[in-house]
Amino acid sequence: MNLSVSPADAVAMAPFIAAVLAAMAVILVDFVWPGRRTAALLTTFVGLAIVAGLILVANEGARTTQNGVSTVFNGSYRVDALTTFLDLLFVSIAGLTAAFAPDYLGERRLPVAEFNATLLFAMTGAMLLAGSADLIVLFLGLELMVLPGYLLAGFHKNDGFSTEGAIKYFLLGSFSSAIFLFGLAFVFGMTGTTRIDGVAGYLKAIVAGTAPFSPALGMGLAFLTTGVAFKIAAVPFHYWTPDAYQGSPTPVTGYLSVGPKVGAFALIIRLFAGALLPMAVQWNVVIIVLAATTMTLGNLVALTQDNVKRMLAYSSIAHTGYMLVGFAAFAAGQAQGLEGLLYYGAAYSFMNLGAFAVIASIQRRTGITSNLSTFAGLIRREPALAWLMTLFLLSLTGIPPTAGFFGKFYVILAAVQAGNTNPWLTGLAVLAMLNAAAAAFYYLRVVVYMFMRDPSEEVASIGHGRLVWAGLAVSTVMTIALGLFPGILLGLVSSAAAAVHVN
Amino acid sequence: MTGSGLVTLVTFLPLVGAIVVAFTNGERANQARYAALGFALLTWVVSLVMLTQFVSSPGTTQFIDQAPWIPAFGIQYKVGADGLSMVLVVLTTTLTWISILASFSPIQNRVKEYMISFLVLEVGMTGVFVAQDLFLFYIFWEIVLVPMYLIIGIWGGKNRIYATIKFVLYTLVGSLLMLVAILATAFLYQSGHGGSWANAFDLASLVAWAGEGHFSGTFGILAFGAFALAFAIKVPMFPFHTWLPDAHVEAPTAGSVILAGVLLKLGGYGFIRFAIPLFPEAAHSWAPLIIVLSLIGIIYGAIVALVQPDLKKLVAYSSVSHMGFVTLGIFTFQQQALQGAILQMVNHGLITGALFLLVGVIYERTHDRTIAKMGGLGAALPVYSAALGFFVFASVGLPGLSGFVGEFLTLLGTFAAMPAAAVVATFVMIFAAGYLLWMLQRMAFGELSEFLRGLGSHLTDMKPIEAMTLVPLGALVVVFGLYPGLVLTLVSGSVETTIRYATQAAPIALGLWR
Repeated sequence: MNLSVSPADAVAMAPFIAAVLAAMAVILVDFVWPGRRTAALLTTFVGLAIVAGLILVANEGARTTQNGVSTVFNGSYRVDALTTFLDLLFVSIAGLTAAFAPDYLGERRLPVAEFNATLLFAMTGAMLLAGSADLIVLFLGLELMVLPGYLLAGFHKNDGFSTEGAIKYFLLGSFSSAIFLFGLAFVFGMTGTTRIDGVAGYLKAIVAGTAPFSPALGMGLAFLTTGVAFKIAAVPFHYWTPDAYQGSPTPVTGYLSVGPKVGAFALIIRLFAGALLPMAVQWNVVIIVLAATTMTLGNLVALTQDNVKRMLAYSSIAHTGYMLVGFAAFAAGQAQGLEGLLYYGAAYSFMNLGAFAVIASIQRRTGITSNLSTFAGLIRREPALAWLMTLFLLSLTGIPPTAGFFGKFYVILAAVQAGNTNPWLTGLAVLAMLNAAAAAFYYLRVVVYMFMRDPSEEVASIGHGRLVWAGLAVSTVMTIALGLFPGILLGLVSSAAAAVHVN
Repeated sequence: MTGSGLVTLVTFLPLVGAIVVAFTNGERANQARYAALGFALLTWVVSLVMLTQFVSSPGTTQFIDQAPWIPAFGIQYKVGADGLSMVLVVLTTTLTWISILASFSPIQNRVKEYMISFLVLEVGMTGVFVAQDLFLFYIFWEIVLVPMYLIIGIWGGKNRIYATIKFVLYTLVGSLLMLVAILATAFLYQSGHGGSWANAFDLASLVAWAGEGHFSGTFGILAFGAFALAFAIKVPMFPFHTWLPDAHVEAPTAGSVILAGVLLKLGGYGFIRFAIPLFPEAAHSWAPLIIVLSLIGIIYGAIVALVQPDLKKLVAYSSVSHMGFVTLGIFTFQQQALQGAILQMVNHGLITGALFLLVGVIYERTHDRTIAKMGGLGAALPVYSAALGFFVFASVGLPGLSGFVGEFLTLLGTFAAMPAAAVVATFVMIFAAGYLLWMLQRMAFGELSEFLRGLGSHLTDMKPIEAMTLVPLGALVVVFGLYPGLVLTLVSGSVETTIRYATQAAPIALGLWR
């Protein structure tokens, strides 16, 4: 095995290494100037900027290769358009979370530096996951992404709910990781390789009839699917989500609802669209069923929630379902399904982070719940936040011209196209739209409270830091821009989706 | 961008207005009021300029502004207006400034947000009427929802939240299924053109391709069904009408005016512009059902209006009945009937808009809308009662006023195509005379009721500002009643084109109905 590092390899790995260094730098800075928020934040954002720059450099390095992919370490890690797209998304998610959190954390005397360092480690894991070309690296990335997530969920250690949510998250998370790893072991045992293209090659041989299909491999696939379904919180593997989301500190909930979710979809893409694609016909049935149940059940349960955080937790389950529709369309042979999924992921990240940022801002003062009644009369108390929340909620509903609308448009377009060959996909598209209409009910309920109800008691408005406003501005601009001018992202998602197949 | 920019101007001028209103001082409500009125009037003037420049030549869409938008899917920013669009755009701009003026005194709460909502609403409505690209059309279609949701939900009556959520959910179910149909249609076009997305959402290209019979068969039936559901909910057709009485009763006066005057027309317009030209064969297959439902709507709306104790609900149910004539006229695929249907859309906008304004006027004084509590207004409020009488007669369909011409043409055309339907519909017009005249009698005639007497000096006749909102509507009702040709020449091109699309496709099916 050749493990020497060439300059090209260094370029490809640079973003990943920089992300680790940035996380450590934050800890170091806090060690030198303990408790100085500004220093920790500055280090975080400079670190993120450097990582983003290096991602672009690495992408340039990959683009100039023959097939647009540069692989490192004997082909176990790769930089391609998909890696770049997802990495940039992860950096944006981490940056926005880091912008929204300090206000909320500061009021509760929770340390900002540790929070940011943990966040950066989680981002590093997601980045490793996004570029993995080997099942072992895939698992490493997955664990590196979710372990800091458990910490973040329990970050408010004096709060019982936070601890409870974190424990549930941790138990079910490690449980599902174990299932996933078990599945990987089966796949390795039956195919004799952990390389993604190797597994794909073996499956291709099975489909062609030149290699035998063993029941053990089928079990491996089943375990992998189950593990992944846990990670994306697909129904019926979603039970950990509401408690983990409701209990976590609100900025963390925002992060958990997008970061690990997009990360888990990166896992799905690399694993199912990369390694297991030859048997798509077989596993797509499962994906279609998962998509249908996930969006329907997520929406139905969200309808009855009175706590906005919990409601958004269930709605995030529903959004997982919509994204799975895109993936099912992809598996049915429509490349646009994957593009739609990626677009949806980006759109969902910005609008959902924005929504959670508004909740976190309202909850800045301790003791304010995220119940619907908190939102009553918000338009009088904090008009700017009320209007922004309305925008994010409309986007989550899928009302044009917002990012959420175009995301749905893209995914449904792919499903309708795939419906040409597989009628189930047309059914899925119709079901998704009916779900979107039902979802309007619970999203608009928040708007009703904000605009049309009077507050039960007068609460003085609270000031918000500049960083929060800056983060909200970014989310707002992206939510509108991705709806009005989707062209800015279409090129990226189509080259990212195309990169999956290139070996 | 290519084009004169005139349609773009008329569409987005209110948006500029909304932004300007957003920067007015929230403490001084008059700033927002006059800024909004100014922009609404300006938009109206621009639409009139457009009208004067409009040369009616058959079937052509004019003032086309075009720019690429999302080239990856062949989606363009493409707007333009033919006769039908032109008429409805002017109706929209007219009713918008009237509504804004009519809101000056009733709306005292959060005036700024109210005016912004109204101007954004105007953008959406105008946009629907001028969009020449299916994606763009859908966006405008959905944009309409948000401000209307806020207008009913914030400034509405007691039960406003229930009403507004019902309104949004009904409309969304229809429109989201329509989105699936739009995508499927575009996809079919794309796969029929070698996988190229160019023009796949362009209305003219799609209609031309539909003319070659590409959207027929099961696909056409299903896609038409999805489009028709969205439009039927908006019109609203029986049995999808149940959101309408709630929304109307709870909406503030100006909201009701726009709802009845323009929003319901979006449905009728959608049938004429999109559903029939894109799926002519399917339209024929669906026509019997739609005609039956229209007749049921006409009868049902009239009967239910007859027993309404609430004045506003009565007018709301009369809308269901009147709009039944529109769908009836459209789906007989007959030239006169279609002309009648379009006239009926315009007239209903003017007359029902005015009736809702009149309901608002009396409600502001009495804070009650129960017809039984009224009586003797004729002597107490002569001007008001005269205006009410005028618009009631217009709504009944008194010859010489515009309401008559629309219904007459619709029935004439329907009679030529299917006499039975025309007979049923004509019979129902007696009910219309019944509920409206009975309402007028209970309101205006006789002794001043005890309830009204108790109001004492609060019971004043119409103020000049209120009269100002009604005069233009009344004038148009008279003008269109005497010279319906004004509208008919404008829309003749659109009517001919639509009839051509409809009859070219399936003359046999039409023959069966004779």
